[in-house]
Amino acid sequence: MNRALKRMSVAILVMFLLLMINVNYLQGFDTGKLAALPFNSRTLENQVRYQRGEILTADGKVIAKSVPSNDFYKWQRVYPYRDVYAPVTGFYSLYGATGGIEQADDSVLAGGDSSLAVRNFIDMITGKQRKGANVQTTIVSSVQQAAYDGLQSKLQGTGFMGGVVAIEPSTGKILALASYPSYDPNKLAVHDGKQLNINDAATQGAPGQPRRDHAINDLFPPGSTFKIVTSSAFFNQDGTRNAQTSVASPSQLTFSDTTSVLTNDQGEVCGNGSGQAPIIVAFAQSCDTTFGKIGEDLGTGVLNSTAAAFGMNSDTLTIPMPVTQSNYVQAPGPSTTAFSAIGQYSDTVTPLQEAMFSAAIANGGQLMKPYLVQTITAGDYSKIQETTPSTLGQAVSSQVASEVSQMMQAVVQTQQGTAFGFNQNAEGGVNISGKTGTAQNGVNNSHLDDAVFTAFAPGNGNPKIAVGVILQGGGYGATAAAPIAVQVIKAYLAYLQGNP
Amino acid sequence: MLLFAIVIVAFAYASVGFGLKGRLPSGLFLYVGAFAVIVLAAHLTVRRFAPYADPLLLPLAALLNGLGVVMTYRLIQAGRNGNPGCNCGTSGTLFVPMSTSATLYQILYTAIGVGCFVGVLALIREPRTLQRYTYTFGAIGVFLIALPALLPSSISAVPGTGAKIQIRLGTFTTQPEEFAKLALAVFFAGYLVAKRDVLALAGRRVLGIDLPRARDLGPILVIWGVSLLLLVSESDIGTSAIFMGLFVAVLYIATSRTSWLLIGFLMFVVGAVVMSKLFSHVGERFDIWLHPYTATNIQDHSFQLVKGLEGLGSGGLLGKGLGAGAPYYTPLAQSDFVFTAFGEELGLAGLMALLLVYGLISERGMRTALLVKDPFSKLLAGGLSFMLALQVFVIVGGVTRLIPLTGITTPFLSQGGSSLISSWIVIALLARLSDTARRPAPRPIQDEGLTQVVRLE
Repeated sequence: MNRALKRMSVAILVMFLLLMINVNYLQGFDTGKLAALPFNSRTLENQVRYQRGEILTADGKVIAKSVPSNDFYKWQRVYPYRDVYAPVTGFYSLYGATGGIEQADDSVLAGGDSSLAVRNFIDMITGKQRKGANVQTTIVSSVQQAAYDGLQSKLQGTGFMGGVVAIEPSTGKILALASYPSYDPNKLAVHDGKQLNINDAATQGAPGQPRRDHAINDLFPPGSTFKIVTSSAFFNQDGTRNAQTSVASPSQLTFSDTTSVLTNDQGEVCGNGSGQAPIIVAFAQSCDTTFGKIGEDLGTGVLNSTAAAFGMNSDTLTIPMPVTQSNYVQAPGPSTTAFSAIGQYSDTVTPLQEAMFSAAIANGGQLMKPYLVQTITAGDYSKIQETTPSTLGQAVSSQVASEVSQMMQAVVQTQQGTAFGFNQNAEGGVNISGKTGTAQNGVNNSHLDDAVFTAFAPGNGNPKIAVGVILQGGGYGATAAAPIAVQVIKAYLAYLQGNP
Repeated sequence: MLLFAIVIVAFAYASVGFGLKGRLPSGLFLYVGAFAVIVLAAHLTVRRFAPYADPLLLPLAALLNGLGVVMTYRLIQAGRNGNPGCNCGTSGTLFVPMSTSATLYQILYTAIGVGCFVGVLALIREPRTLQRYTYTFGAIGVFLIALPALLPSSISAVPGTGAKIQIRLGTFTTQPEEFAKLALAVFFAGYLVAKRDVLALAGRRVLGIDLPRARDLGPILVIWGVSLLLLVSESDIGTSAIFMGLFVAVLYIATSRTSWLLIGFLMFVVGAVVMSKLFSHVGERFDIWLHPYTATNIQDHSFQLVKGLEGLGSGGLLGKGLGAGAPYYTPLAQSDFVFTAFGEELGLAGLMALLLVYGLISERGMRTALLVKDPFSKLLAGGLSFMLALQVFVIVGGVTRLIPLTGITTPFLSQGGSSLISSWIVIALLARLSDTARRPAPRPIQDEGLTQVVRLE
């Protein structure tokens, strides 16, 4: 009996040892993982103990703030402009920060970032209530509003999505980041968990996927705007080429590897009908045959490296939100290479990438890294950290940029240009350079065309703004997307007049 | 040593006050004073009726009991008097709200528990007298287990849990199974002392294991059936595991035959697996044990388990400090999940101390079983000690996800009277048994034993 008893005491010892090892594991090693569990009430409670920092526009409008709340949580997050800034701010819910600056700069806004440690320590000693740091973005409120309004006027009720991005070419500052359809972040910041789940499901399932940031996280075919890349590659290849260089302009392009042919939109012939035209004319008229031929001659490898120089095929860009990679997929044969050269085949871009095309050309070929956060300020708005512009590299030489720039000017400012018609009526004295795109979509082009427009302004002088617009199902780039770009550009130039 | 226990409890109580409000809590002297008087009374009883009893048992039990009272007080304060609480449910305090007078009740239960402790020591002077009532205790045990299952749900269901394990009369509730465990422990010990020789007879030998004869399997089959019935009809997996474990342990101690351990263990596993396939609420326990963090589980079935683990994680090595954590986010932090509440506020250090205290009580009980001469006392001491250890293992292992979670009380720490009172009776029985074990040897070796004990603390 005693032998059995001794064994049982060993069994008891083992049971307690197991418990102790397990508790040691949980509380000694596993705390980080446990703290990061979704819906962790303790982590969330820690965060609502302090007032979260504000998110502001460059012109000082508060687009996200925390106000005292009467319920259990001490602070309520408020987004005064609702849907307009949702892609910029993201939202802060009971589940934590999701999307936008809220998520990307969560630790700064919460006040726990290492860069704030000294300040927090001083606050602790002086007995001041700790407060998260503020994030001042590069967004200009009037430009953002113009971009959002433009998207809304074209897309409301269609179920389609679209995005607009405006960049300052010389620095990479993002002046507008609009996505449509959007959502009201206030509905996801509610403190009632049940209501939150209902609102969450409603916005997740809505047509047009409002919760996605279409401006940086959705891909669309670039259409003819990709001819900026093709022409850049063309000029790169031979330093003697310029905007007046004569290129082949056939009425149709045949290929060795397929029986199908490439024709221009509605079968029209570019230039004067001779089969040859200056490249600037072909660019202004957006001749698919010309650029298909150029692309085929350049080869897919050259197109690929030029596209990469403009920032495509890279998934490392963060603004600070991670940007979805825009793709140029190398084509397997001559025909597919030709199609890839005019923005079809498997080319896909974000609206941000569209803005980056124009920004690089407008900035003498140098592509600046787009960024959204200008300064981080303490609770009393004293500056803690400021972003200095950085470059992503030279997309093209300044010589090439200047040739492409002339051609983009011709698209809008010359009579044969695809965007000239709208330019005459709506431009109102603002000189714009740009490139239209009308991307055919779906099997046998069964979907509605996407309207694409990329532009910078002023086109005759020192460019201040570059814009990329993509409207899914919008139709012609010139009629659907370009007017939005004009409104955005006008809003910014007006802002600059008030704030030089 | 008892004074140490009282001082620790007083400090813990004061610490709650500082953690919550930054000052001494109201009622410090009243609560701690009452507690001190109660346990000192227990001490005097031991001196009077069981002078040779193991000197560690009472201080350890008193320490656990006192900390349980402190945690009860701390959890009552959640969401009250301006203290942070949970915004869950309608109460704003805890998922399952506690009455404001729960601390007083807990002290009252402590008094009743210690009263029973005193009563047991005073009335049962010789443990073997219990052996006379073997079958009476057996009948009482089965009756107490069956009682809630037979009563209508309005009386026996525990709100919000789906378990039918209590009897509610007005505001007073009791969980008869807590007492059934004790009655059955006595019954098993008495029954097996009588039958151990029969059961120990070798049957056939298969694969190197001595299989018992078929008719000797009878009792284990009956107990197996009863515990499974309990499991199904009252949704109480944890208690059935403890009955089964208790029986198998006592059987093993009585017969020294490993085959009983294997058979008992296998039968429980088979029973549990079959039940988990047949009944969704049993299968669910396994599912949340294996996959607590899946999106569907985390918000629903495994919510409580995950909240408890979150609490442990937030406590870390040294804990948040009593009153400074957020145990109110864990449903039933006052009873089933009291261990995680301690883990959150006292940290790993505190939990290790608690587990050591439990381990010490159990091992002191096993030591008593080794020392005591008569077989019935051996079985009873071994059974009770193992049952206490198993109960701690099942609930603590459950809330820390070592084993599937089953809701049973944590001895001494959980809020509630039945568990506390029955735990005190266990301590009283162990004290009586150890007194018997040590009494006839008033030799110097006893003093050495005492000195060693002091050094351990």
